[in-house]
Amino acid sequence: MSKKAFTFISRTAPYGSNRPKMSLDAALATAVFEQEVNYLFMDDGVYQLLANQNGEPIQAKTLGNALETLDLYGIDEVCVDYESLQKRNLEACDLAVPVTLLDATQMRALINRSDFVINL
Amino acid sequence: MSSLHTISRSPQHKLLQACLKVINPGDEILFIEDGVYYCCDKKLLSLISRDNYVYGLREDLIARGLRDKQDALVEVVGYHKFVELTVQHSKTVSWF
Repeated sequence: MSKKAFTFISRTAPYGSNRPKMSLDAALATAVFEQEVNYLFMDDGVYQLLANQNGEPIQAKTLGNALETLDLYGIDEVCVDYESLQKRNLEACDLAVPVTLLDATQMRALINRSDFVINL
Repeated sequence: MSSLHTISRSPQHKLLQACLKVINPGDEILFIEDGVYYCCDKKLLSLISRDNYVYGLREDLIARGLRDKQDALVEVVGYHKFVELTVQHSKTVSWF
């Protein structure tokens, strides 16, 4: 199987729906098949990356911890829309994992060079 | 590598704005399902660059009573053209 470039875009906050979890599961599964996987967080999706999350009080799995495994699974790049971060008064140092901050031009380039874009 | 972007929820979900952040010149936008409400919103449609062609799905426009209300910028197409568009572009990015 030839290697394809996948980009997953996640745009929703972590615990209000199962979409972030679905997106993560799909991305990890894709990485297992040794594909190039990029993960792009936009809009409320950036909240998924906040450090010091604890899902226990609401009987939920802590998504932030799960995102820390992205690196282990060989996810090539964890990218964040810098504008979405700024609009929420957040900075890269507020996040649980190291990320690449992208501006609009860089995001366009990422989408353009991807073979598949999965929006969840 | 051009993309077809499909938008399938109403303007209150701001999917167009998210899509426009990552769209490239030559990409095309197709409004389907509740996304067809965009077809009647001149102001929101004006956010789209002239480098990006815009379509609305006829069946969804008719169902919602919007068939003759769509803006002149929007080309109304049926399922046949929808399929053609998905083939024509190297990938489809679906916003929902």
